[in-house]
Amino acid sequence: MTRRSIEIGVAVAFSAFLIAVPWLVPALTDTFWVSVITEILIWSLFAASANLLLGYVGLLSFGQALYFGFGMYGVALGIDNLGLSFWPAFGLGIISAMAMALVSGVFAVRLSWHYFAIITVVFSLIFYFLAVSMKPLTGGDDGVNFSLPPVFHFGRTVWSLTDPTFQYFFVLAVVSVCYFLMYRVIKSPLGKGFVAIRDNDLRASLIGLNVYVLRLIAFVMAGFLAGVSGALFAFFGRYASASYMFYQVSGEAVVWTIVGGAGTMFGPLVGTTLFIVIREIVSSHWEHHSLIVGLLAILAVIFAPKGIVGLWNGWMTRLDERDAAASAQLKLQAEP
Amino acid sequence: MSEPVLRTEGLTKRFGGLIAVDNLSISLASRRIHAIVGPNGAGKTTFFNLLSGLLRPDSGRVLFRGQDITGRRPHEISRLGIKRTLQVKSVFPQLSVAENLWITRQARSRFLHPFRSAASDLEAKSQVERTLDQIGLAGLAARPAGTLSYGDVAMLEIGMAVISEPSLLLLDEPTCGMSPAETNRAVAKIRDLAQTIDIVIIEHDMDVVFGIADDITVLAQGAILASGSPAEIADDERVREAYLGRPEDEDFVEEAAHA
Repeated sequence: MTRRSIEIGVAVAFSAFLIAVPWLVPALTDTFWVSVITEILIWSLFAASANLLLGYVGLLSFGQALYFGFGMYGVALGIDNLGLSFWPAFGLGIISAMAMALVSGVFAVRLSWHYFAIITVVFSLIFYFLAVSMKPLTGGDDGVNFSLPPVFHFGRTVWSLTDPTFQYFFVLAVVSVCYFLMYRVIKSPLGKGFVAIRDNDLRASLIGLNVYVLRLIAFVMAGFLAGVSGALFAFFGRYASASYMFYQVSGEAVVWTIVGGAGTMFGPLVGTTLFIVIREIVSSHWEHHSLIVGLLAILAVIFAPKGIVGLWNGWMTRLDERDAAASAQLKLQAEP
Repeated sequence: MSEPVLRTEGLTKRFGGLIAVDNLSISLASRRIHAIVGPNGAGKTTFFNLLSGLLRPDSGRVLFRGQDITGRRPHEISRLGIKRTLQVKSVFPQLSVAENLWITRQARSRFLHPFRSAASDLEAKSQVERTLDQIGLAGLAARPAGTLSYGDVAMLEIGMAVISEPSLLLLDEPTCGMSPAETNRAVAKIRDLAQTIDIVIIEHDMDVVFGIADDITVLAQGAILASGSPAEIADDERVREAYLGRPEDEDFVEEAAHA
């Protein structure tokens, strides 16, 4: 088997699985796992936001939860306080996350590495404590609940996220669109500029790239991804809470990304899946499931510095080389 | 004489108590290869850092074709057409050789398209292929730049300078670490480039300097010690003393080994 055929096979099987989830999973185990998979998709987008910064621009952010929180509260307050319907509330969540990312990014992306990491934590802590203290508006750690407005109506037919199957496909569609957009950006001239800055920011400025502006663009794009996932999570849970703005939540996105594979498209999805599945299986039997998370993170950093997807890519490259060597051998034998 | 490509007026840079570049006024004529030499610590690289915007001068001005560029940021200066290489070879290690050239080409434009596929830009692609042939790295196009030999990285840096179509090229020890064969290839390439581009080169290899330079400026302790044609510099007593050292100096042996 060649690399290409394996990769196509995996992609087809994976897509088929995702489409079949609402029927396949209840048949095999329990409907509960459909909602776990929905949750995995949402959180993978949050990890993708940390990955866009860490894996493609070389910025380690421990503050992505802030934009996740803004996405959540944009939706919850939009519906509960402003009386918005579904789509305007969704838009408000995403736009407020991006606006917050722009404001903090203007200051944060001037710095790099540990200074950048610290300032992102500081920003998210400031707004975490603000959200906790503004209890009448935000509900603090208890959060605010809201009732779901319908997604579409056509005449008398109403589609709403209260239907778990529709909710699953809605989340799958939104997450797929975001992954597709991210794929386009990464393969574009802008994406190559990001990677150049990650590799060598001094050189990047000398060839004429505006390092500050490109980092800021990436930061706002990451704010978009975190905002979309926060908004989806608010719809999914029908509530928003300040506790999701805590920096521990940001840290989880970084760990999922590193274990899954930073700087790869699907690393965050793999890492998120692994950890949420572990959490769901282990946490009902043993309360210290985060020990497993820590252990896996340490193992990944030591044995698979490019994460699980990095290991996979390594195997695929070796397969490629073996095929190339084999075909060269064949050519040699064919010659008289 | 036509307008100078690059002129500095009283350029000064201090690091604490050390004056790295001391009231330097220099004027570089167009269409000539200008070499800057001097012992270690003479301020050559600091001078380049001031020209390319990596450092801001404490006083003085830098004029590029009559335009004041003092204190502008590196990417702004780069977009005016002043490109440079770095003394410690510096490329994008995880990008392939072709991608290194490609992004350097793209960086000339202000706007990087966020959604169009990078692979679909045929103009840039053919530029990359031509440059790969010119620098003799076509066979290594897909290799990550971080896995190249030192000499190949240095060639790639020259290629990156070429593909950006500079109008002024600042080369900081381009042949450092190259084998004799690679040095010859690089020297030929630099001569070829000088037909269309103004070049300033910092170089320790005296064979290279005297082989390609039209004008030589000798720096010592941040100031100009001597300036002139290669023949004038070779005969200058002060240069011999300051740069090559007196024969009885122990340093002489060391410097001679470097040269």
